[in-house]
Amino acid sequence: MTGITAYKCNKCGLVMYPKHFRCLKCKGREFEEIEPAGDAKLLTYTVVDQLPWGMDERGRVLGIVEFANGVKATGLVKADDPKLGMKLKAEWGPVRVVGGEPAYGLTLIPKK
Amino acid sequence: MRPVVIAGVGMIPFERTEEGGLVEMLATAGLNALVDAGVDDRPVDAVYLGNMASGLFNHQEAVASALVDSLALMPAAAERVENGPASGGSAIKNGFLAVASGFSDIVLVVGGEKMREVIGPKATDIVATMTHPMAEYVYGVTLPAQAGMFARLYMTKYGITRHHLAQVAIKNQNNGLLNPYAHIQMKITEEGILTHPQAHINNPVVADPLYLYDCCPVSDGAAAVLLTTPEIAKALKKPQVIIAGVGQATDTHALQEREDPTDLKAVTLAAKKAFEMAGAQPKDIDVAELHDAFTILEIAESEHAGFFKKGEGAQALDAGVTQIGGKLPINPSGGLKARGHPVGATGVAQIVELVWQLRGTAGKRQVKEAQTGFSLNFGGFGNNVLAFVVRREA
Repeated sequence: MTGITAYKCNKCGLVMYPKHFRCLKCKGREFEEIEPAGDAKLLTYTVVDQLPWGMDERGRVLGIVEFANGVKATGLVKADDPKLGMKLKAEWGPVRVVGGEPAYGLTLIPKK
Repeated sequence: MRPVVIAGVGMIPFERTEEGGLVEMLATAGLNALVDAGVDDRPVDAVYLGNMASGLFNHQEAVASALVDSLALMPAAAERVENGPASGGSAIKNGFLAVASGFSDIVLVVGGEKMREVIGPKATDIVATMTHPMAEYVYGVTLPAQAGMFARLYMTKYGITRHHLAQVAIKNQNNGLLNPYAHIQMKITEEGILTHPQAHINNPVVADPLYLYDCCPVSDGAAAVLLTTPEIAKALKKPQVIIAGVGQATDTHALQEREDPTDLKAVTLAAKKAFEMAGAQPKDIDVAELHDAFTILEIAESEHAGFFKKGEGAQALDAGVTQIGGKLPINPSGGLKARGHPVGATGVAQIVELVWQLRGTAGKRQVKEAQTGFSLNFGGFGNNVLAFVVRREA
């Protein structure tokens, strides 16, 4: 369970995340809601040491992944040694604290 | 459309402003442009203000109204134009359209931001509110983080190394030393920021593979231009530097949705439109001001705008092509890297620099015989981009 809802265009099949009111490719307005499925491949990442106000940490790995069913998403990568192309498993977990409460998002851990 | 002349330019030094508020900064730059144009008591029809986030940075809104009041320009029309870090470019486009269409005869465009009123991490957060709230921002994605993810792919694809990124930083900080308006006045060396075993102390990671010296500083600053018709510019006895081409294009909000994340489509399209409108080509450009908020962007933009083939921008940089005195000087002002990047000011400051270059008044950083200039103002992470071609007419 990734907690993310992606959208597949009923007309042309383009997979989009986040939501758009019209398809980025064919301008269609009807979509099938889908969940990311399969392994997530790490397309790119960065290791951030200078985070914004309210996030007091170093070495936070943020990356963009593509799932086997075509959904692409940004997430928090929990890997000590990230590599381009590595396979990750997606979970829905706390990614940030906002106003003292955890905010949830996509967390990605290396697949054993 | 009527031709539009940039008859006056003005700036204030980009720095951490210790005295005065945002409106005083904007008014000083605006006044400098009015004085430079010599408009005296001629009425200004409209004021367009490029500013990204005065509410968040300075707890002040309706800043364009405050600006006309400060400069005694009433009853001029006044609006703030917001387009993230391309707010200045968008304000110029709006001013251009007002004069070109015949709606206005004299327009003052001011761009400015007072970012140092908040601490660094807060400024980073304010700028990061441009990212997609649920798909990016919630994870702590910042503009440097987006640039880091872009840089990793671009460097891998085109064989760009940290040496090349350092060359951008060194060139632009050297140019900044020749620009009294530049925030960063410091010579750096490749040894000091990259090759010395302890270089990481001077140059720590921001968003790997980008380090401190790959990123522009957080600055306060303002810049202004006065736009008018060729006839009025002639009456004012000002050089005929015209806005010959304007282009703008957008791309997906979230970086992840780009089909090829190394392709800065909006840069290519905005530049193409500006060149077409100007009847010019990249080879006609004598001097360019690119949006080097991160060193990787100067290289990538120089390719996407059409100056070099994809993958050849770094070689051109290494060969000295983009130095002042090279075939295509890029960022003689020092760029965002050295001049600074008060977000709303940048697009206007780029045009101010080009006007100084085309008038031949750029001092020690003057590009010889510059007749045609190009600027690129990169909003968001390349999701709303403006390009301009400016030309000195005989």
